[in-house]
Amino acid sequence: MTQILTIASVVWLKMLRKKDIYVLLILTGALLTTLISLDIFGLGKVTGYIKEMGLLMAWLFGWILAVNVSSREIPEEETRGTIFPLLAKPITRFQFLCGKLLGSFTIVAVAILVFYVLVFAVVISRGGTFDFKTIAQGYALHCAALAVLSAMSLAFSTRMNYDAAASISYVLSGVMFLLVRRIPVFITYAEGIRANALMIIYNLLPHLEIFDMRKRIIHDYGPLNALPFCGILAYGLLLSLLFLMLAWLSYRQKRFSRGTML
Amino acid sequence: MIPAVEIRNLTVIFEPGNIRALDALNLTIPKGRVFGFIGPNGAGKTTAMHVLLGFVPPTSGEAFIFGENVNHSIARKQIGYLPEHPDTYRFMTGYELLSMTGRLFLMKGKSLKTRIDEILEQTGIADAANRKIATYSRGMMQRICLAQALINDPDLVILDEPTGGLDPIGRLAIRKIITGLRERGKTVFFSSHELSEVELVCDYLAILSKGKIVSEGAVRDLIKPGDNLEKYFMETIKAI
Repeated sequence: MTQILTIASVVWLKMLRKKDIYVLLILTGALLTTLISLDIFGLGKVTGYIKEMGLLMAWLFGWILAVNVSSREIPEEETRGTIFPLLAKPITRFQFLCGKLLGSFTIVAVAILVFYVLVFAVVISRGGTFDFKTIAQGYALHCAALAVLSAMSLAFSTRMNYDAAASISYVLSGVMFLLVRRIPVFITYAEGIRANALMIIYNLLPHLEIFDMRKRIIHDYGPLNALPFCGILAYGLLLSLLFLMLAWLSYRQKRFSRGTML
Repeated sequence: MIPAVEIRNLTVIFEPGNIRALDALNLTIPKGRVFGFIGPNGAGKTTAMHVLLGFVPPTSGEAFIFGENVNHSIARKQIGYLPEHPDTYRFMTGYELLSMTGRLFLMKGKSLKTRIDEILEQTGIADAANRKIATYSRGMMQRICLAQALINDPDLVILDEPTGGLDPIGRLAIRKIITGLRERGKTVFFSSHELSEVELVCDYLAILSKGKIVSEGAVRDLIKPGDNLEKYFMETIKAI
């Protein structure tokens, strides 16, 4: 575990030292500006809008951060050649991947925690209220979705360069988030083999939409019961582990030569 | 006695192009030797080292470090490695890099701190330890990378072109470190194109060409009195 934590700490230190933290500050600034500018349109007092806009941006920024941070780690190590002294140490490639995933995921989790705190600070300042338990659940499930995205991006980056891994991660996660939830509608219009095929696709694809508790938070529907909440968390953990295993299968026998650095 | 390095019938074929980087290579390096690994460009020196470090899985054959198959990460516990074009985390300070490397070897606390101070002194970069590596010169970069290779006080040190691109002062410093390692009974396996360096520091050497060893033995046995390694190397390569 010490080795995994050490590798994760390198991801953190790099983020802080290479001024990547500025990206987070810019995104936070954009979020804050958007929330405050709602006043201009006379919506500043409507806390529901503030929650909706704030959470939408938290999801959008979390998505961008998760894909970018996770998909660049391994290609950067390989192109700079820093992978060589690192893997010459008594660490397994699985530990290396776990360290990278842990580092990337915790950066994103802390970043969106900042966004959530900011959104609800603005909500409170405008006289709004919120249910802490619902928000805590929303944050936990948001983190679970970002863990899945981080693990998926990391898996792609084991065999692709940063640009390719990030692009495919964006496309696939976009499809998972926006299209998968519409498949049941298509199924109602399909018949026979087509309907069965759609049903199989629907069941096989990861369902990122179930991690989204924004509507519950915005409309104060209250928290989820413990069983479905834990079930969704377990589903997120399972998907993350699945992508981590795929990353390991892809990476465990990967050859590193001087060509890796090109 | 278990040798430091044992390579048996090692073949590595790179795809695409079916390039045979190593061709049934056999090599044994007993403990405590400074072993030079020389050969023309593309002979397979770096590939052989990469197999030992687990970067390149062999197409066939086996390799062992202190009797442990190189496929197991535990085999790398007693290795220090300096790559051919050393680069490291430039956003860290020299001290942070060594601390991070030590933790990968499960070193901690006072013993890690003492070892970092020792190795910084040994490699001559103690004064720059708290500066960011991004501000280091080429020679200092080489030294900090060598320092991280030696942090665990390894029994086997693998150096790929350790003096490449260094000025005479830098070369002398690296040579002193290698000599110091030999005096402490460590095994050093290093490749270099600087044949005069190899002649100065090595006890044994092997010449590699097209993935095969074409000459191997004690330096004093291979080179006739009055000759030098460069001449011997050129004659050997031409004779193939």
